[in-house]
Amino acid sequence: MNEVRVGVFVCHCGTNIGGFLDVPGLAKYALSLPNVVFAKDNQYTCSEAGLTEIKNAIAENKLNRVVVASCTPRTHEPLFRSICKDAGLNPYLFQFVNIRDQCSWVHMQERERATEKAKALIRMGVARAVLLEPLEETEIEVNPCALVIGGGIAGMTCALSLANRGFEVKLVEKEDRLGGTLNSLYKLYPANEEASKLVQDKTKKVKNNPNIEVLTSSEVKEVEGFIGNYDVTVRQGEKERLFKAGVIIVATGAETLKPMGMYGYDGENVVTHMELERMLKEGRLNADMVVMIQCVGSRNEKRVYCSKVCCPTALKNAILIKEAKPNAQVFVLYRDMVTPGTKYEDYYGKARETGITFIKYSPERKPVVENGSVRVYDELLGEELVLPYDLVVLSTPMVAHRNSTDLAQKLKVPVDENGFFLEAHVKLRPVDFATDGIYVCGCAHWPANIGESISQAYGAASRASIPMSVGRVKTEPLIPVIDEDECSGCGLCELTCPFKAIQVEETEKGRKAKVIAASCKGCGACGAGCPQRAITMRHFTDEQLVAQVIALAEVTH
Amino acid sequence: MEEKLRAVLVIGGGIAGIQAALDLGDMGIKVHLVEKKPSIGGRMAQLDKTFPTNDCSICILAPKLADCFRHSNITLHTLSEVKEVTGQMGDFSVKLHKYARFVNEEKCVNCGECAAKCPVKVPDEFDMGLRKREVIYPYYLQGVPAVMTIDRENCLYLTRGVCRICEKFCTREAIDFEQKDTDVMLNVGAIIAATGFDPYDPSGIPQYGYKRYRNVILSLECERLMCASGPTGGHLLRPSDNKPAEKIAFVQCVGSRDFKNNRYCSSVCCMHATKEAMLAYEHDHKVKSCIFYMDLRAAGKGFQEYVARGEQEYNISYIRGRVAKITEDHDENPIVWYEETQSSKTNKMTADLAVLATSLMPRKDVKELAKVLGVELDEYNFFKTDPLNPLDTTRPGIFVCGCCREPTDIPESVAQASGAAERAAETVMR
Amino acid sequence: MTFQESFEPDILGFLCNWCSYASADLAGVSRMQYPPNVKIIRVMCSARVDPTIILEAFIQGLNGVMVLGCHLGTCHYMTGNYYTERRMKTTKNVLKNVGLSPKRLLVDWVSAAEGERFATLVKDFTERIRKLGPLGKETDLEPQQLRIRLVAAKEALAQQRIRWLVGRERELVEDKNVFGEKVSQEEFDQLTLQTVEKEFAKRRILLSMKEEALSVKEIAQRVEASPREVLRNIVSLERDGLVSFVGIEGNSPKYRRAGG
Repeated sequence: MNEVRVGVFVCHCGTNIGGFLDVPGLAKYALSLPNVVFAKDNQYTCSEAGLTEIKNAIAENKLNRVVVASCTPRTHEPLFRSICKDAGLNPYLFQFVNIRDQCSWVHMQERERATEKAKALIRMGVARAVLLEPLEETEIEVNPCALVIGGGIAGMTCALSLANRGFEVKLVEKEDRLGGTLNSLYKLYPANEEASKLVQDKTKKVKNNPNIEVLTSSEVKEVEGFIGNYDVTVRQGEKERLFKAGVIIVATGAETLKPMGMYGYDGENVVTHMELERMLKEGRLNADMVVMIQCVGSRNEKRVYCSKVCCPTALKNAILIKEAKPNAQVFVLYRDMVTPGTKYEDYYGKARETGITFIKYSPERKPVVENGSVRVYDELLGEELVLPYDLVVLSTPMVAHRNSTDLAQKLKVPVDENGFFLEAHVKLRPVDFATDGIYVCGCAHWPANIGESISQAYGAASRASIPMSVGRVKTEPLIPVIDEDECSGCGLCELTCPFKAIQVEETEKGRKAKVIAASCKGCGACGAGCPQRAITMRHFTDEQLVAQVIALAEVTH
Repeated sequence: MEEKLRAVLVIGGGIAGIQAALDLGDMGIKVHLVEKKPSIGGRMAQLDKTFPTNDCSICILAPKLADCFRHSNITLHTLSEVKEVTGQMGDFSVKLHKYARFVNEEKCVNCGECAAKCPVKVPDEFDMGLRKREVIYPYYLQGVPAVMTIDRENCLYLTRGVCRICEKFCTREAIDFEQKDTDVMLNVGAIIAATGFDPYDPSGIPQYGYKRYRNVILSLECERLMCASGPTGGHLLRPSDNKPAEKIAFVQCVGSRDFKNNRYCSSVCCMHATKEAMLAYEHDHKVKSCIFYMDLRAAGKGFQEYVARGEQEYNISYIRGRVAKITEDHDENPIVWYEETQSSKTNKMTADLAVLATSLMPRKDVKELAKVLGVELDEYNFFKTDPLNPLDTTRPGIFVCGCCREPTDIPESVAQASGAAERAAETVMR
Repeated sequence: MTFQESFEPDILGFLCNWCSYASADLAGVSRMQYPPNVKIIRVMCSARVDPTIILEAFIQGLNGVMVLGCHLGTCHYMTGNYYTERRMKTTKNVLKNVGLSPKRLLVDWVSAAEGERFATLVKDFTERIRKLGPLGKETDLEPQQLRIRLVAAKEALAQQRIRWLVGRERELVEDKNVFGEKVSQEEFDQLTLQTVEKEFAKRRILLSMKEEALSVKEIAQRVEASPREVLRNIVSLERDGLVSFVGIEGNSPKYRRAGG
């Protein structure tokens, strides 16, 4: 067992530290500590000169631990770690002591006490450094094949983009053809493109792309593994296909709520917008008096959210009706007109110009559909109106696909309270899951219009392409290490980890916890909770932490 | 066969530009991230918290700033502007103009000794003019690169040849008045525009009283006041007398959905007004807020619940009604005159503070940039895209994301940024 | 100067890399001044802090401990701080059992932008500990007695039972158990309190027995508890395999610490 030889470098940082602490005194103190064989103070340890000194000191003094007492590890730890690496020392044998941001800068009027505090911090740092162990960052290969689940506009866009980048893509679609929700739509807002043409174009491109294998009438049966190394089983009728994938993208879309029992829905005279679009497509629209009701089955206690796309959809269809039948009377009963952004306000304006009447109603006094007319209290007029109708069209929200929870369980990813897939971070990681290697886009994530679905599909493709482009992922060095003799397989660690990075499996010794280094983030939550204390957290072991505590107590007593 | 140009130019160092740069860098593609200001971070760095989680904005942004700075594939060009673009998709030649910082980025350690001695104070742009800063200054405390900058327009030496005190007190010899502006030529395969937005200045709508009445402020100004690192240490104090604001009127759609000013809707204001009202209440439970709105746009994930919470738990009232004008009383309290559409009555409300939610506009110099890039803008001067190719501009090889494309929230901007990165990657790896 | 005023507390802080450590750095960058009593240990997540380490700090004689993490809902590792919150709640309960003021353990949430708040927190906590006085002043225990109790507390927190219970709190209170039942927060808190008390009592008994064979009455004297309570705990310890019955002396059964 080699002797532990610690080198300590105390920084003046110009006058930032030197002006408030006795830096030479600190270096002298450091030299007096157990295991410290070399200590010196520098003006600017992070300067070229300072870094060279560290490298030289490591070589000349055969240092196997380095401690730098200066500013903050949050900015400078990577720099000093890489210097150690350059000098042939494992970067995890480096310890940082913060004596500026958390000492000299905040105790500017108390030189003596601040210096004593710095001594304590250095003592703690050295005590930890002595117990540090070299850690290897391993890498695992990433299979350059993406599994895209869902062949709607989002899935197709994502698949095409990744295929254009040169990656292999397996596109799995439940129905017997690609297109998803687009297959049920007529025209698209705001430019009235034909949905079927868009489907045709994309499907052709997908089928002609040699990198994409399309599996229609297929469902994902099972997924095992982790980022870079997924084993996927897809069921296609009676057959099963097994293949490997590096990343997975969920693009399974959403369903639309069927307004059973609401507003007299009957699918004939009281219909949904999907049903209306089919009528328009097939030229079967006979109505001259149309009343559209917004927020049916949404923005209520059961389903709090706003489904975003229904207002522009109603505008689109109302305008189409007026264009087909200029004399038709069209009313839109709404609560808030949700037409955000640069395109839809104009669209709203256009709708008003074509003679569509907008009536604002309040959730406390919902419209009533009865005997061929709709009774509604107009909030702005302050009057109740009775609108006779030939056709009532209900805007219902998008809801999570009925199979989403099932798929979520297979992939071990979460869904939110509405059944939509839950991303890693609402603001900054909207298309990632917390579990590395799996991504989401389109209406599977949240109601989205086609432009948004396309943007998100490209976004998910970008994220998914990163591990595949690099070809490898680094595994976390700060992983938990499991003492299998102590581990009882209780599974508390698996329950605790939000990244699915530690899981209980059958082994010859029984059920034991196993670490998936590729998914681990090194937080230590599992280790601090293990009932058997069978987990050691690398680089933040109990021993190392306790050594720091004891070192502190030694100085103060 | 020519070696493919695997480099991309990203114009704009806000959250969208940063996300696009990080994705591309992580893919192994070289990125030149160009930012006009002395530091990256953009508008997100100015926010206190972000809806609907009320996450601290700079806390979630700072790690990304650090990643950009340290990334081996990303070259940061701050204080720089794109002046010329020639060529075509796959092979663009770009001329960057780099303005001199007069501070050596390698030597400066951001210790602040220079600023402590600088004799000139001017309004701070990052803090929306709500406080003064020195002429040698950090753009903002957590900015990256973490170095000082000298404001050439107000520096005594650079304008009048006197002073140079900062240089005398710098122990690192980091100040260099000999620095010159330079031009840098870059060769890239694709370009991404992510230049963000400027808030609309409602001084042109005199009936709202902005700049006439001291207690009528913009929402970005409100953010800076509530931010712990802002000019008042996070206390929402009235500009006129520094007393805490307890009754706040949030006026929505200022300049928006307006035939005379901006016809479009800025999408995020209903949410950020709710957020600001919530934060004001969190700071001080005596706060009561009224949000005067037209149509409540809260369609994103968790947004309706957020608004409901605001109403139920944070003492916020939502009043549907357009505000016709704002006046003030002898205590400089803003008086908000509005029509309550539900009752068709006109009414007025006296508040301590009025916060105007103004439109998100394209940047003032976007027309110039569009000309340089050779791309079309739409009728509102946002980068023109088509609904089925939402991230492509009118020029092949040039892509767009974030608020310079259309006003939008942070999650959308981030998703679009990754999307634009993917489009650029497709281009340079073709 | 009174004794109280001259007492300078020694305080340990565990700060998480992403939020609280960053807020401490920001306090530094902003030159906010605060007393130098707190020394900081950096961890990646506040959830890394095993409750036994906190007890170790008190065993070593430190007067106060702070554990600071990200605001709930914003943990860099998603759910870490919820575990911190639960574990620290239990740790405070055990400090109460020891006889120490649970106020010696501060658990709070600070975001990376709250430099000023961090400085204020440190100032306030330092004052609070100063007023509480040196460790154990709020009890009337001798230092040796306090130490034994602290060791018993640390060992209790190292036991399966408490760790298992605390780790499953979210699941039991928010989801359901295998029988489809949910436990209310109050019920759960009661249960944890009782379990902590019991485990603490058991460890005290074990420590007091050293290597000797003792009767229930003798043990009861050493730990200052009623013989009935001690007997209940001895039975539990026997079940755990930690004590064994070694014979009868007169009318009293004798027990000794067993193997492991």
